[in-house]
Amino acid sequence: MCTIRWPGLILLAALASVGTSAGADLHHVQITAASPTEAVRWYERHLDCEPVTGQKDTAVCNGIRLIFVSQPTMGSTQGTGVNHIAFSYPDVTAKMAELEAVGVRGSGVRLQRFDDGSTHRPMPGLNRHGFLFDPWGTRIELVEDIELLGFHHLHLSASDPQSTLRWYQAAFGGQSEDFPGGVSGVQFGSGWLLASSHSGSQPAPTSSRAIAHIAFEMPSLDRSAEGLREVGVDMLGAPAVPANARSAAKRVFANGPDNVTVAVVEPGFAGVDAAEATGDGAFDGNAVAEAYTTPRTPWGEPDLQGIWTGNAAHGIPLERPAALVGVEALTAEQAAARRERGTLGSIWGYEREWRDTTLGYDKMTPSTQVAMIFDPPDGRLPPLTEAGERRAREARLERERRTSQPPAGPEDLTPYVRCITKGVPGMMIPGIYNNGLQIVQGPEFVAIHKEMVHEARVIPTTPRERVGPNLRTWLGDPQGRWDGESLVVESNRFNGRSPFRGSSAEMTLTERFTRVGPSRLLYEFTVDDPTVWVRPWSARFAFDLDEDQYELVEYACHEGNYGMFNILSGARARDREAAEAGR
Amino acid sequence: MASPASRSRLSWPRRARPAIAWAAATLALAAPLPSHEPGIPRFFDGHPDLNGIWQAIGTAHWNLEDHPAAAGHPDLGAIGAVPPGQGVVVGGEIPYAAAARERQEANFKDRMTADPEAKCFLPGVPRATYLPYPFQIIQGDSKIMIVYGFAEANRTIHMDKENPEPPPIDSWMGRSHGRWDGDTLVVLAEGFNGQAWLDRAGNYASAALRVEERYTPLGRNALQYEATLTDPTVFERPWTIRMPLYRRLEPNVRVLEFKCVEFAEDLMYGHLRRRPTR
Repeated sequence: MCTIRWPGLILLAALASVGTSAGADLHHVQITAASPTEAVRWYERHLDCEPVTGQKDTAVCNGIRLIFVSQPTMGSTQGTGVNHIAFSYPDVTAKMAELEAVGVRGSGVRLQRFDDGSTHRPMPGLNRHGFLFDPWGTRIELVEDIELLGFHHLHLSASDPQSTLRWYQAAFGGQSEDFPGGVSGVQFGSGWLLASSHSGSQPAPTSSRAIAHIAFEMPSLDRSAEGLREVGVDMLGAPAVPANARSAAKRVFANGPDNVTVAVVEPGFAGVDAAEATGDGAFDGNAVAEAYTTPRTPWGEPDLQGIWTGNAAHGIPLERPAALVGVEALTAEQAAARRERGTLGSIWGYEREWRDTTLGYDKMTPSTQVAMIFDPPDGRLPPLTEAGERRAREARLERERRTSQPPAGPEDLTPYVRCITKGVPGMMIPGIYNNGLQIVQGPEFVAIHKEMVHEARVIPTTPRERVGPNLRTWLGDPQGRWDGESLVVESNRFNGRSPFRGSSAEMTLTERFTRVGPSRLLYEFTVDDPTVWVRPWSARFAFDLDEDQYELVEYACHEGNYGMFNILSGARARDREAAEAGR
Repeated sequence: MASPASRSRLSWPRRARPAIAWAAATLALAAPLPSHEPGIPRFFDGHPDLNGIWQAIGTAHWNLEDHPAAAGHPDLGAIGAVPPGQGVVVGGEIPYAAAARERQEANFKDRMTADPEAKCFLPGVPRATYLPYPFQIIQGDSKIMIVYGFAEANRTIHMDKENPEPPPIDSWMGRSHGRWDGDTLVVLAEGFNGQAWLDRAGNYASAALRVEERYTPLGRNALQYEATLTDPTVFERPWTIRMPLYRRLEPNVRVLEFKCVEFAEDLMYGHLRRRPTR
């Protein structure tokens, strides 16, 4: 493997000789989208791109191709080295009004408003501009440049914009020009490549994000690759025709600056037929994670901080269904159908009002994981102990008693309906909405804040004395530690009033949080409750980084629990009816 | 076979970030810092380290203003009585606009059932700070989270937003953005829903409330807490409360779980029981 680092001295020296690769042009942008055909339609309908016959995953926009690949989306373009793509219209005001009228429902259009609520504003040199998102997280700018309508530019977010653009120019040529508004740019045949300063530390890798890579076209790649190597481009392997390619054109990947994956293709490259492995090797619930070194906090602990969401994992059953014995993973279609069923079954009006406004589901490709339990290996809960059988019987009778007649008071309803808690690990399991999970770390403490129902768990990561055996709580007494890259939390001293699948107050819950990629947090838990099950059991699923989220929504559950009032007043009405009937 | 993308990750210097952060930290510590009070624990970035469990001591939760001892709920005897206290309002009284004082007095009359604390509702800011429960500050590199002992309340103070977005919806705890002013953590909280009270005496503000809080270390084990409340719909001018917050020094102390919903259910739903209790 090439060992040149960006920015390396060799590369900088090489940049002195420019023009090795004139004639290259932007070729395509690879976009991660749950449904490529729907994505093509979206770009056709809203941004005047054109479908390509025989290539259901490709749209052509004024000379550049957008190739959509069905992969789990690990987040929007924001925060990566490719901030957005831009399209030019003669009248941005009118175009924005048209898009605003589309609305966000279904595969709609999300406008990104400016601070004052406006959808567009004047921009030096280009009259007006504004921003929106496609349903899969690609940020899109609209500009007003009558000299170049249609696809307009790719906007990079670079630690050092000048040196980034020099890298692209050394590799692919293009005209270096100052873009209106003081932004630096390089002009190619199909559009501009612009770069602005990245705020914060290094941009996140593009792999598996909404824009997974950008691609340039160069003739005769075997020969061109030599030139690229000469100017210090960090190539990943040799040019080759990808498996299932639709053409004989070769392709090679390279590490661009700012963690941007750059593909170089030969003219005529027309994508590949099957979804190829462009994922970042992160855990998808079906395979063991590749080693990933978690960034560290400034005080040296693995950094798990951020706003995560369990939306992709919503719908994974705890136990493996009998019909799926031996199945390693669902197909993408099966996974989408499973989540759809679960959600449609849960929320009235979901199809019309909830789809992607509140749930944000379209951002997250549903997980193909078959079941959460991975130990025992059959994916089923282990057998109950004798005492466990008894508990289960009593619980069933109690449930029957409670549901056979209208509730006498709040105590006849579950702790969740009462807005007290979902307990642990119950609160961690994704539900139909408000699956946010926020992690904030300080030295020796990790705060795990679950959106539903605004519960914050404070985990100490240095040993401390346990609370006494009589101090029982809903969420137990947690003790954390760092185990390599993972946060491990062991909790006991539960009050047993919010059981998980029949767990008791004697449960010991061990949770393990591991970042398995820049945007993925694996959550594993082991329930050891010898009073209930004959052996411990373990389950897992993953949370995804949700970078669009400013902060978690305040799920003020009890404060707005009109449901409780209505359930109880309804129950009293039933009581009165029953009394009337019996009279 | 590793995908191109995964190779790309490995080939980049992943450890650069922490290394840079450490370098920055080292530089920050090496450089002279402004107004170095002795005895203040310092964070990696040279700012005061506020991590820990803190609690207000006093009677501000009963009434922010001066208040003599008073009877409480008769069933509770002296346990329920209101202890006397000196006010924490700088300059004496809360500068209510005339009609607003009447509303506070009405709140006071209805307090047994109307006080959001009685109903186990989220306490809002600044009330969460001086309720008689401990709270824990978890101070990180870009966010500070405060987890309060009462009602699972918590808030995130964003230290990393140069241009904060206005809060999109009102909430009980609002949205908080922080910055350092020397050794003082200054937090601007806004975006409230106007339903929270300020104490058990019915003092209140509206959804227009903006709170500027100042947390200033007074040595290792105490903070000076100040909160300036601006709400032109309720108050004639901005006004400030000031009180110390004390570090809880018990070696094994925790902010224990106080899920109070079930203790408020009878108050709220007792009249809807099969056998009504209210």
